[in-house]
Amino acid sequence: MDGVRVGKRLIGTQAPVTVGWENIPRVEGGPVKQFIFTWFQPTVLFALIAFWYYAPNSIAKASTAMMLGIGFRLLLVGLEFAFPRHDSWRLTWKEVATDLFYVGLGYTILRIIDGYIGDGAMVEGIQHAFHWDKFAWFTGLPLLLQAFLISFIFDFGQYWMHRGMHNWYPLWLPHSVHHYITQLNINKGAVGNPVELFLIGLGVGGFFDFLPRAFLLAGAFGMAVGSYQHINVRFNSPKWWRFLFHTTEHHSLHHSQDFEASRSNFTNTYIFIDRMFGTCVDGEAELLGMEGGRRMGIREQMTFPFTEGWKTLKAKFGGTKFGGASYGSEQMGSAAIPAE
Amino acid sequence: MNARLIDWIWHVRGSLALAPGQSSDDAFDRLDPLFRETGTSHERTADTLVFRKKDQAAQDRMSVFDGGVLQVERGAAGSVLRYHLTSRALLFCFLAPLLFIAFGQLTIGLGKLEKSSAESSKTEKKPKDDKKDVEVPMNPIDKALGAPAPDKPKKDGADKDKKEDKKHSPTSAYVFAGIFAALYLVGRILEDRLVKSLFRKKLLGS
Repeated sequence: MDGVRVGKRLIGTQAPVTVGWENIPRVEGGPVKQFIFTWFQPTVLFALIAFWYYAPNSIAKASTAMMLGIGFRLLLVGLEFAFPRHDSWRLTWKEVATDLFYVGLGYTILRIIDGYIGDGAMVEGIQHAFHWDKFAWFTGLPLLLQAFLISFIFDFGQYWMHRGMHNWYPLWLPHSVHHYITQLNINKGAVGNPVELFLIGLGVGGFFDFLPRAFLLAGAFGMAVGSYQHINVRFNSPKWWRFLFHTTEHHSLHHSQDFEASRSNFTNTYIFIDRMFGTCVDGEAELLGMEGGRRMGIREQMTFPFTEGWKTLKAKFGGTKFGGASYGSEQMGSAAIPAE
Repeated sequence: MNARLIDWIWHVRGSLALAPGQSSDDAFDRLDPLFRETGTSHERTADTLVFRKKDQAAQDRMSVFDGGVLQVERGAAGSVLRYHLTSRALLFCFLAPLLFIAFGQLTIGLGKLEKSSAESSKTEKKPKDDKKDVEVPMNPIDKALGAPAPDKPKKDGADKDKKEDKKHSPTSAYVFAGIFAALYLVGRILEDRLVKSLFRKKLLGS
């Protein structure tokens, strides 16, 4: 495969990818379908912003956000069933069950752990140790700016954490599991080793003080933009949307079996952060995963970072300490080598 | 105890009548593509086909099964294909509600533990100075656009207690236990039917 030159990089030499918006297919179907799948995303975004901006305090609560989030997700699952982007990414019972298992972990055990050692606890600890107060003047900023700042600070941190995961072996080990998914579906964002799911959820937003409504608005940004990252539905997203926001297309390229393509599009919501740092590639891919698209089972997903890390340690130090083979070319060919 | 009493949880059994005169060789030839998927190995003897799957692809039409035996039995009324398939995915889905109930119990247990330790340390706490009667700022732009004014912050203690309660609520764990119980029922019935219709289509297909 020849690949396509993007800046200094050759994308798509190992697996097929499509680069450039002009080469990406558009939604097929009649004018009504075209209309719906062109305007669905912006309509939902602006409707949610208006709702959270004007909803009375009795309605603007986290519980409303949770119900809206669940309802929206169910709608998107319905869209996936009715209008799949790729037949090779179709939802099956097993895929739904596997994905929901990880969603369930996120809502239960990971939330418990996060409460003790997550970013909230860490920020509180640091503030307490250094006798810092929160940056309280943030609450005086316009609501939408506050909301943008919340989601931007989180996404900016996530960008570097994610990029770090693709560049540093100890972080790549837990993240590699997420790259074994072979298709994109609405809940695939939750699939991964719990260590990675914990790491990717860390943020520094807790240092700042924002109004509760700003958090709800920021959640709406995440919901109305970030939800589409792992969806098996094609949208004719407007040009400005593709320029600002991370789309399914961007994310499919990030999950491509092509090594260079996987080293792009690290953000969650704001693709312009990738543009700022030169890691954005506009395009898409259908063939996803690692090791030629091997689907990893849940048991291996739970243990892989540890077993793989142990293998690497043994190979590196085993020659002298454990009497094993020295770190050689065979190890370099292993699947869990960082995407560097 | 008879294993059959419980192994229906993850074992799927069924049978299909073969067309009159259809040999076992012909039947297995027609089913053969199903066992040539990535990660699938199989062995064929005269009347039996045994298969095993590992890391089966998501779109493998039998991805939910990890192994099984297919046998052609000849009877007076004609030949019958009997199959016996096993699925770890169904077993784990059946057990998943127990895991989530355990998470729920853990949440409650941790809540109780924290409550008792918080109560014992409560007496040592100094009374807080009530500085919280300040007006919450609102940007003029938001005022002009008509956004509702933010509520005044509640008393520290009440707010924190409420937050703690939410942190130790087992509701989501129980919801997921329910989801997986429902998902198991759907999967057990659906996958049984899907594999039967898949075999039937392959056997009848040219």
